[in-house]
Amino acid sequence: MDWTQYRGWLIAGLVVIGLFIILVYNQVDWQSCLEPEAEGFFPNCVLKNTGAWYERYGVVVRQAMVSGLLIGGVYGLVALGLTMIFGVLEIINFAHGALMTVGLYATYILYDSFGVDPYLGLLITVPLLFIIGIMVYAVIIHPARDAPHHNQLLLTLGLTLIIENALLLAFTATPQSIRLPYARAELNFGFFTAEFPLRIWGVTIQLPQLVAFIGSLLLTGILYFLIQRTDLGRAIRATAQDRAGAALVGINTNWINAVTFGIGTACVGAAAALVLPFFRVEPTAGNIFNITAFVIVVLGGMGNALGALLGGIIIGLTQELSIIFFPGSSKLIGVFVIFIMVLLFRPQGLLGGKSA
Amino acid sequence: MKKAFRSIVMIALLLMATAVAFAQDDMVVVKIGAIHPLTGSLANDGQGMDLAIQMAVEQINESGMLEGITLELVSADSTGSADVGQEEAVRLIEEEGVSALIGTFQSAVTANVATVAAREGVPLVVSVAAASSITEQGRDADGNQWTFRIQPNADVMGTYAAQYLVEMTSAYDIPLSTVGFMHEGITDYGRSVYGAFEAEAENQGFEIGETIPYEFGVEYTTDVTLLSASALDAVMVTGYYGDGLTIAQTMQDVVLDTQFVMGVAQGTYDQDQFVEDAGDLAECFFNSNYRWDNLNELATETRAAYEEMFEEPMTAADVLAWQATMIVADAIMRAESGDPADVQAALLETEYEDHILPYDGAITFEDGETANALPVVMQVQDGAVVQVWPEEIAEAEPRFCTAWQ
Repeated sequence: MDWTQYRGWLIAGLVVIGLFIILVYNQVDWQSCLEPEAEGFFPNCVLKNTGAWYERYGVVVRQAMVSGLLIGGVYGLVALGLTMIFGVLEIINFAHGALMTVGLYATYILYDSFGVDPYLGLLITVPLLFIIGIMVYAVIIHPARDAPHHNQLLLTLGLTLIIENALLLAFTATPQSIRLPYARAELNFGFFTAEFPLRIWGVTIQLPQLVAFIGSLLLTGILYFLIQRTDLGRAIRATAQDRAGAALVGINTNWINAVTFGIGTACVGAAAALVLPFFRVEPTAGNIFNITAFVIVVLGGMGNALGALLGGIIIGLTQELSIIFFPGSSKLIGVFVIFIMVLLFRPQGLLGGKSA
Repeated sequence: MKKAFRSIVMIALLLMATAVAFAQDDMVVVKIGAIHPLTGSLANDGQGMDLAIQMAVEQINESGMLEGITLELVSADSTGSADVGQEEAVRLIEEEGVSALIGTFQSAVTANVATVAAREGVPLVVSVAAASSITEQGRDADGNQWTFRIQPNADVMGTYAAQYLVEMTSAYDIPLSTVGFMHEGITDYGRSVYGAFEAEAENQGFEIGETIPYEFGVEYTTDVTLLSASALDAVMVTGYYGDGLTIAQTMQDVVLDTQFVMGVAQGTYDQDQFVEDAGDLAECFFNSNYRWDNLNELATETRAAYEEMFEEPMTAADVLAWQATMIVADAIMRAESGDPADVQAALLETEYEDHILPYDGAITFEDGETANALPVVMQVQDGAVVQVWPEEIAEAEPRFCTAWQ
């Protein structure tokens, strides 16, 4: 019997068992089962106490799964932009988060000064960030195309500093936020009426988070279709696979580079408009998405579009479930544990090897 | 033509020089230095504090309380960085020859400035900075105290919050056995305030059922759900303005199940801005924080003067910067000199009655700390921030409620 084909399942099973042990160790009152007066067999007693724990805190587990899934979808969209840029240009764009901050400010100004609803504002922020992306590529990345990769990486890092400080100068560091007037309203869908925030089985689902998730999935789907089914998508994939070959069959690879950078940046423009109704904007607001997106891209496989979505949801879930598994510590701990595990055991990423 | 222009400039300069010389005939100028973040991410706070100090200096010079001495303010920008703040402290002392320093709003910057001040032998009066170790760092090798602080430090604020909690709830027969604590977990401020609260909770005989240290995340729904599931009598929060606002909104979304929420040295729940941003949701939030005394007439006058002069409200941090300047001026007056060592000696003997902080009696220094400094519990009631505890300075009775229940 060939065990190697089951290796993946075996590892997944071990991870689940390991997580269960960590959960019981950290959360459940197993100590009392060691006392001489404890009733019954030790494992039975622990299971019973685990049940009692779940009765009370099950709602937190369910909330963590729902919140993790919802925010994970947005992470996926941000990571998709980053992974596309990597797939075609082979550089890690460290300015991805800073460009997202630009998108956040664009959304904020549209809402605050012109009264444009952030979701409607997508029609402006997405093209705007697409154009900014192309400009950044033309002015900063393209001239350094032939420079060593670490130079290009440093360039994007420098761009981050410039963007952050320019925003600081223009808007000061005071955090700004927008809150939708209809976020707490009753919405009538004809066949049923939903009162937001929704409360199902103890779990709270706020309207902005739900819209962000659905919007991110839709945009990811559209982008996936664009990459798989259109001529532009084929040209992008061809350039990612073999730049010289693509050029030989008449693809303008410089133009593809620029468009890819534009699309990648448009992704964060969309994500920015979708998250602002429950997030806030300050000159460093995009940083948190930058770190997370980087981990997701490594997890999903560099340059892999579906991997970005899958990785986004896994990281979202990990982050929220960390609250239960590692009480009293940073949410990012679980994320970094996964990051290190992937680098050690599956450096090509979960879906690595297949190209975007 | 050029020549004529040059001579006019020369004459003008000469005239100005004599004018200055006459004006300063028997006036001695004493310089004081102020270091705050005038640019960078905290510029908003730092600029307000610098304006408060400018106003104090003007008031002092106008009043003539320093008989024969004119105060001159030299403002410096820490940019929010400990290194820059330190360099500016050295520059103010060595090049500008200041007699005393005031600053700096951030604990990390203040710690560096306190060390420089002690080494160079120039007194520092802290405007705002909470970390408890700062007054220790402001001591020279011989154990002389060069740093003085008028606000309650992080230890005092954490400790008092736990005490107030028990005093207030027992005075109104509100049950309190288990509380939850959600605090900003990255900086020294969040962790040290929580540490002091935790230590005092044990003395006060209540339990901390759930602690959630958070970094500046995207959203907090799961965190607040955990608090809600933990059957807590009250929930404490420590953090900055933006996260405090988001957490409050999430509490409403989740319908957090608890009797009331109280900030501990929290940056949101006692601000007028919070009432403006959160509306009805702001009702019932407590915050135990440093503050002026709302019942003090001079406080009302001072805040009105500030608002008239600069067209923005005087925050608690601005009030403390103003008060620190008054303490420095008082020491210079008693020292009758601008010599830093004399000013330091006078600061040690400080007994300042006419302050606008909610402390019982005069401000005096013990190892650099104000012995009777304490925080005040504020609450948002009917759209206004009012003092509710300690009882002696309460403007209204505390209400134990949440806006969403």
